[in-house]
Amino acid sequence: MATKTQCLEQRELQSRMEKKQMKEFMTMYSNLVQKCFDDCINDFTTKSLGSREEGCVMRCVDKQMKASERLGNRFQEQNAAMAQSGTMPGR
Amino acid sequence: MSFLFGGGRPQPTSAEKIAAAEMEVDMVSDMFSRLVRSCSKKCIPPTYAEGDLNKGESVCLDRCVSKFFEVNVKVSEKMQGDAQNRGGGGGGMFGM
Repeated sequence: MATKTQCLEQRELQSRMEKKQMKEFMTMYSNLVQKCFDDCINDFTTKSLGSREEGCVMRCVDKQMKASERLGNRFQEQNAAMAQSGTMPGR
Repeated sequence: MSFLFGGGRPQPTSAEKIAAAEMEVDMVSDMFSRLVRSCSKKCIPPTYAEGDLNKGESVCLDRCVSKFFEVNVKVSEKMQGDAQNRGGGGGGMFGM
């Protein structure tokens, strides 16, 4: 019986996590658009992106993704270290 | 990821268990998204000369994470200390 409820719980949690992941992905995308738009596009004398603007956007996306990947790695390390050294107030 | 919740005593119902697990994930992912926002703002200048992180930016990001965590700990300790000095009620969100 315990196994059955656990299984159901697991499945419920799983499906919520999947929805969350989807939502997070969309949020990440829209944040990236906003960040790179704000940083790269400041000239409205033309209607479409110039090659300089486009290049800036591409490099911006590249760099921001690399940055959040790196931050993710450090975050995990810190989190693990903290969990290992007992409770919240580490060190 | 469970550093915010001391040991976690067994939760009665599965709805509560799921809610607790979900809340923990939410807190951690919220913390992470705030970290990403702050650290990339502080470490990545908005001029994109190249698409790779350079040395300075990488080091800045690493240190930023470490300081962000340290500030979290300090603030939580301070809040707990203040709550205890006020004598009771205590606990706050960061039990333990």
